[in-house]
Amino acid sequence: MLEVAGLTTKYGAISALRDATLTVGSGEVIGLIGPNGAGKTTLLNSVAGLLDPAAGSISFDGVDVTGSSPEKLLRAGLALVPEHRRIFTDMTVEENLKIGGITRSAADRASDLDEMAELFPVLRDKWTTAAGFLSGGEAQQLAIARALMSRPKLLMMDEPSLGLAPILVDVVFNLIATLREQGRTLLVVEQNATRMLAASDRAYVLRSGEIVATGTGTELSGRDDLFDTFVGGAGA
Amino acid sequence: MIELLQNLIDGLGRGSIYALLALGVAVIFGVMHLLNFAHGELITVGGYAAYAASNQGWSWYVITPLIIVCAVGASLLIERIAFSRVRGASDFTLLLTSFGVHFVVSAIFLLYVSASVKTFSRPRWVTNTYSVGSLNIEVFDTVVIVVTVITLLATTWLLQRTMFGLALRGAAADFDTARLMGVKSDSVIRGAFALSGLLAGIAGVFWLMRSGSTTPSAGIDPMLSGVLAALIGGLGSLRGAVLGGFVLGLAEVLLRSRLPDGIAPLTDGVVFVLIALLFIFRPQGLITVAHAERV
Amino acid sequence: MFPKFDRDIAFPLLGSLILFGMLAGAGVVYQALFDGGAAERLITVMLIDAIIVLGIQVYVGNTGVLSFGHIGFGAIAGYTFAVLAITPEEKAKRIPDAPFGLADVDMSSTLAIIIAVVVACLAAVILGIGLARSGAQSGAVSATVITLALLFVTHEVSRNWPELTGGERVGLFFPIGGALDTRAPIYLALLGSLIVARLYAQSRSGRLAVAAREDNLAARAMGVNPLVQQMVALIISVAIVAVGASLSVYEDGSLLPENFFFDFTLLTLVMLIVGGRNSVTGAVLGVAVMTAGRELARRLGQDGFEILGIGLDGKPLDWIFRENLQTVFLGLSMLGFMIWRPKGLLDDWELDEWLRSRVRRNHPDPQPEPLPEVVADTTSVLHAEHIDVKFGGFKALADAGLHANGGEVVGIIGPNGAGKTTLVNVITGLVQPSAGEFFIDGDDVSKTQTYELARRGIVRTFQNLRLFGALTVRENVEVSSLIAQSHRIGRTIPDIDALIAEAGLWEHRDRRANALDYGNSRRLELARAAALAPSFLLLDEPTSGMSNSESLEMIEQVRHMAATVGAGVIVIDHDLGFITGISDRIYAFDQGAVIAVGTPEEIQANHRVQAAYLGSTAEA
Repeated sequence: MLEVAGLTTKYGAISALRDATLTVGSGEVIGLIGPNGAGKTTLLNSVAGLLDPAAGSISFDGVDVTGSSPEKLLRAGLALVPEHRRIFTDMTVEENLKIGGITRSAADRASDLDEMAELFPVLRDKWTTAAGFLSGGEAQQLAIARALMSRPKLLMMDEPSLGLAPILVDVVFNLIATLREQGRTLLVVEQNATRMLAASDRAYVLRSGEIVATGTGTELSGRDDLFDTFVGGAGA
Repeated sequence: MIELLQNLIDGLGRGSIYALLALGVAVIFGVMHLLNFAHGELITVGGYAAYAASNQGWSWYVITPLIIVCAVGASLLIERIAFSRVRGASDFTLLLTSFGVHFVVSAIFLLYVSASVKTFSRPRWVTNTYSVGSLNIEVFDTVVIVVTVITLLATTWLLQRTMFGLALRGAAADFDTARLMGVKSDSVIRGAFALSGLLAGIAGVFWLMRSGSTTPSAGIDPMLSGVLAALIGGLGSLRGAVLGGFVLGLAEVLLRSRLPDGIAPLTDGVVFVLIALLFIFRPQGLITVAHAERV
Repeated sequence: MFPKFDRDIAFPLLGSLILFGMLAGAGVVYQALFDGGAAERLITVMLIDAIIVLGIQVYVGNTGVLSFGHIGFGAIAGYTFAVLAITPEEKAKRIPDAPFGLADVDMSSTLAIIIAVVVACLAAVILGIGLARSGAQSGAVSATVITLALLFVTHEVSRNWPELTGGERVGLFFPIGGALDTRAPIYLALLGSLIVARLYAQSRSGRLAVAAREDNLAARAMGVNPLVQQMVALIISVAIVAVGASLSVYEDGSLLPENFFFDFTLLTLVMLIVGGRNSVTGAVLGVAVMTAGRELARRLGQDGFEILGIGLDGKPLDWIFRENLQTVFLGLSMLGFMIWRPKGLLDDWELDEWLRSRVRRNHPDPQPEPLPEVVADTTSVLHAEHIDVKFGGFKALADAGLHANGGEVVGIIGPNGAGKTTLVNVITGLVQPSAGEFFIDGDDVSKTQTYELARRGIVRTFQNLRLFGALTVRENVEVSSLIAQSHRIGRTIPDIDALIAEAGLWEHRDRRANALDYGNSRRLELARAAALAPSFLLLDEPTSGMSNSESLEMIEQVRHMAATVGAGVIVIDHDLGFITGISDRIYAFDQGAVIAVGTPEEIQANHRVQAAYLGSTAEA
């Protein structure tokens, strides 16, 4: 469904991502793990069209979409839940969801709003509250629900557990599991490697802007060097 | 007491026009971070349209929609020709671009019409007044206030209840995230310019009805009022812009009637000094919009 | 050391002389070619415009704040000058009721100019305070509107105070035909303005102002108080504009409110923008180019188009070549340059810098000697405790603390979002904690400003790299060295060149910071921080985005730099290998709180730390 080949993205003279190649098949849940500064967010933002890649190609559903704008990619079926959630804090929960479904017809949007209310009971209780008043966990659920409103073929999430208390991290991973059961295609960036590996079909490990390992959750969990890759082996 | 009430009504009338102008400035600032020094030119364009139409002997029933259409058209055209080319540029560049647009537009009228004042007939009822008790109320002020209230209600409805309004607010709050949701940047920015032009057009109708004349540099005063009111309210806040407009209008009227005779001609100067003081004590304006400094 | 005589004094003086010669010479040549009063007047006006544009450049160029108000200062100076210098007889005709007994003042023009400059500068101080409060910094929108408001205040007052100004229609007059019978004062003022503008840009204040223009936050973190430097730039700038405005009034022989309003603001700003606002040479070039262009447009508008005697007057192009074409030309120049070349023709290129680099090409600097290590100042102590920080409803830090002694290397680790950077932001005054205390050497500094903390020796680097992009490597380091020289009294201040060499940047010393690659940018940040002779170096993810071998190199570099300047180190990194390789003690953070403190060995063996890294709930 998504094929990324040789993707390189630069900030000025700095290559934040070098020669990244990955694929996501329909119905798969793919994890993207690695330490801070490894280039995970850069990878997602490049695929979502927020950053212009310096080299490489991105194709989605067999169509070359390298360099497309985010609004175009969303219409093609590719949605991103951005890092730090970035919900619209001055708008109500309902309005946040509505803007997520801006590309849909009014009738579809209305029926999807009902569906989200059912899928996320926490949000239903705060339907007309300004999103700025939500707790971290509620805000994360809103961000995911908002992205689902566009009925994406591929949903990308950037660090959905960031800054959440342990109990809420459980909520997020339960949600990922639910979405996986529904057969949705997910590409998830996570720092919480152990849990992400357990929750995904396959995973890629990034470090210093490069993909350094790939495999199924069990394969990667079994590898002894994973801990070192994660916390750094430079001085050890 | 009666005098104060009188001032209040006069001030609301004046403030209504400022509020409409300021809201137009704030809408553009929200989506593009552009402080539009060319906002007043929309009224200049309307003014010359009114002049041309008035020469043809057309009535204000025709001139009114004509001014509004011209303002919206000019707003969209300016976006297309100039502002779309500097999207995402530095604030410095954006400020000077709008300053440049202001001069090009006024220079075109200078070149093709004339530097002198062009007058046109005003509707007769503009100078009429009616009395309520011992209050003397202008028909004009009444119309301005009523139309402004209706316009503001309609704008609120547009922003709160329609998908376009939602997209506009989303883009103003976080442009990238709005695009991730599928908000088309071209459409939302053009929509913002159209809305801004519409508001300027309505304000322009009143402005021109009262002045009955235009010159190539006629846009400066409405631009300054709009920009200052938006700033008083707190840049980036739509509610603040409207509030700022009314505050500015009331301040002007109150000062003009209360200042001692010797200083009264300097009212505008005094208003500016007060605004400067406001900024010294409340640098962010009346309504603060949070802008975190990311490290 | 600073100032460098040839770079900061001799060459700028030489450059100013050459620019003066070129502009004045061009004027003389033009007058010789086109005889007559009109040509003479055009050149006189150009020279005066140049003085005013140079004045504006001092502020706008060095601080990056766009000002529409300088012509307003010009109006203040112009009216002060006129009211003082016009003879009492003339005043009796125009403004017999002038307040404060001004109608009877009889004063020499020179004294009147001096007083005009003083009055304009006083106004600048008042406006400067307002600008400072509004958070003026490069590109700040509210600052620009405040300057615009000043322009309108002066305009309104000059229109509506006829007792003083003669009002909108009458105005003020010198004897008809202008009063300035020689151009000598204009030449003198122009040369003086050039020299002041160039010397200011090279001065301590100028360099600090430019650093703040490039990155306000980084400048503050290096101990620069941008507001002070902006004020200095504003006063010097307004003084030059005031001289130019007074001369303009004197030369014109008359003064009306419209003279110092929007049209003149547009003209001077276009001149500045076209040449390149960040350069004195650019300002002069812009004045010349726009004077020529405007004159050409004016003539085309007046006389129609004509090539080689073939006139097209009254022909197809007539719809363009009309009266007032020059105004369209100015507006379009402004728009065109903003859209296609916002930094102008020259950006920040300076004639004298180019000359100096040509002259010195054959005389390279000698490679500096390595710096001796300095005995660490082990007496200094940094202590923070019970720090709470909230962003909206999110608790970024909860009862966090940190203790570091001088000369010690303290590491901070933790996963993304653990609150590490927030803690460094608190310690450097960028984030105000909602609770908690923070001390340096026993003094409570919880409420201290960022730049003051830097001057006390708390100096940081940034995770996302915040260099002064348009400045060279050497100039970047020089900024902190300038601060060190005046605020790190009693410390050994490292030599700039030696420090650059130690950082491995010697061959790049004259390159711009924004042209450096990633690793060198990181090294420059480290050198720039070290040049401040800090007590504590705070490094936020110095190896972020680096490969393993580069990270290893960085460890050595950090150790070496810290030893060279005798500083303690507090270093954040996610890379446990890097941190354990360098630190004496380590704080491990998770969820905004300290979860472990200890030696590298203790931390490596700590299960909570491992769990925090790979997912705290997995093992919980």
